[in-house]
Amino acid sequence: MTDQYKKIEAYKRKIALRNTTIIISCAALLIISFIISMNTGYSRLSPLDTLRTLFGGGTDKENLILFDFRLPRIVISILVGGGLALSGCMIQGISQNALADPGLLGINAGAGLMVILYVLFFGAQSFLSIFTLPFLALFGAGVTAVLIYILAFKKEEGLAPMRLILTGVAVQAGISALTTVLVVKLDDSQFDFVAAWQAGSIWGSNWKFVLTLLPWLILLIPYILFKSRVLDVLSLGDEVAYSLGASVERERRRLLAGAVALAASCVAVSGSISFVGLIAPHLARRLVGPRHRILLPICTLIGAVLVSAADTIARVIVQPSEIPTGIMVAIIGAPYFLYLLARNKQ
Amino acid sequence: MNSIATENLVVAYEDNLVVDNLDMQLPQGKVTAIIGPNGCGKSTVLKAVGRILKPKNGMVYLNGDDIYHLSTREVAQKMAILPQSPQAPAGLTVGELVAYGRFPHQRGFGKLKNEDKSIIAWALKVTKLTELETTAVDNLSGGQRQRVWIAMALAQQTDLILLDEPTTYLDLSYQLEVLELLYRLNREQSCTIVMVLHDLNLAARFADYMVAIRGGDIICHGSPEEVMTATVLRETFHIDAEIVREPRTGRPTCISYDLIKGRNIMGEQV
Repeated sequence: MTDQYKKIEAYKRKIALRNTTIIISCAALLIISFIISMNTGYSRLSPLDTLRTLFGGGTDKENLILFDFRLPRIVISILVGGGLALSGCMIQGISQNALADPGLLGINAGAGLMVILYVLFFGAQSFLSIFTLPFLALFGAGVTAVLIYILAFKKEEGLAPMRLILTGVAVQAGISALTTVLVVKLDDSQFDFVAAWQAGSIWGSNWKFVLTLLPWLILLIPYILFKSRVLDVLSLGDEVAYSLGASVERERRRLLAGAVALAASCVAVSGSISFVGLIAPHLARRLVGPRHRILLPICTLIGAVLVSAADTIARVIVQPSEIPTGIMVAIIGAPYFLYLLARNKQ
Repeated sequence: MNSIATENLVVAYEDNLVVDNLDMQLPQGKVTAIIGPNGCGKSTVLKAVGRILKPKNGMVYLNGDDIYHLSTREVAQKMAILPQSPQAPAGLTVGELVAYGRFPHQRGFGKLKNEDKSIIAWALKVTKLTELETTAVDNLSGGQRQRVWIAMALAQQTDLILLDEPTTYLDLSYQLEVLELLYRLNREQSCTIVMVLHDLNLAARFADYMVAIRGGDIICHGSPEEVMTATVLRETFHIDAEIVREPRTGRPTCISYDLIKGRNIMGEQV
């Protein structure tokens, strides 16, 4: 018996060590990605120049490049990556479906529709757009999510995860169709803007966008981490969750609202980036297992690394031009996802 | 003393009335088996009692308290309910799943206290899972997996455990293993067990009290001797059964049965 006890203690120590190693590695990757990202872009800054500029010794041009162009974009890519990954992880847990992601709740579609409507009525060059667009996108995403929730909700059974997914797919298809119809009406400059948004180009790369995004993250992330044990219990299925005394319907509504607000505020500044919310939770689950207390932070870190790395690559791969970050994320993410599907088939 | 009582319980799926005005009392400290044909409402009753389904009307009392006046957390400290074949997330270990049983007793971030840890260790020991604590639930056999869920319910430390067909998909030996575990929990830990069972003979062998249901109504309730009779089974299952005493346990057992001649399965004359 004591042997058994020792073995289990040793196992627990091993797991704790593994988790610490994974957290440190993810954080290190994020820092490395951050540093490389600062050095790369259309105008080259050597690591030494970057360092010098960072500590206040840069020329006006260097200051402009680093502080006004590069840093806000890097910070946004990290925040957006983490936020979308965390949101995806919650949605997968709540819907008990490993293929779910924030797009499923109509966030990208709803935000996209609002962006098109806005551009159609006010034009892409409108001065107002950079300040109002994130809020409009947020509004569109929120309205769509509420619509899906209402359509999927049934009085007797509450919100069945499968119905949520199917309703999400249907509403998304409807909105996409509407979007396509509207795209036809755009002129060239409007179309370019909308296409860039839909490809997830992290268009809002200035400090004001960091400031609009940050309060959401500061409010939502601690709340979500605090709810990790509720997410654990919900992932056992409704009936077991009831048995364990979770207020299933209420908790699910709150957590879904949290996940929607998180993803919507991210998408609003970055444009439509998908795949992070799908891939990061998968990777994190394979690394640390399904318990949300460790899964959520790891998933957030992985999402941040993924998007900031993708953004760096997107900026250098076809210089002097650049490809949208969202596309780069998909280029990295899709093969991994196909690999996962192929592995599950066996 | 009743552990569970229902009064005028009405449960419906949409407009489809499954249980209409059910009054049922289940004794405390006993093993109760609910039997009945497919679609008779036995699982529905269990779910309504376990507050998974909201009844259209009527009352459910848990140890005399109206269950809908207690918070769901308070109920979870008194009653655990295991659905039919629950699913654990991939990669979750036995110890982690059993630890989730402490949920209704935790607050805040839910860090396990020493008391929680010793209860989890006890639940694993009683269900003979201590050696499997670090194994992933997906890697276990069906019988072991069922024991893990029972261990989780035990970690919840309730006086009452409801189980919906705990032996489904299990081989004969695993069925016995699970039912013997439940029987032991009842006798040694004085845990009240209420389960829906498909197998009549296993129900009669392990239960102290049986309830036969058809069409949402109680046909008969009482000791296995009172319920396992040709008359009751004829009315409940529309079968013509021969009941004898099982030589090893002395419990009534059904050795041979036929559909009643001249009636279809719904009991209608043909």
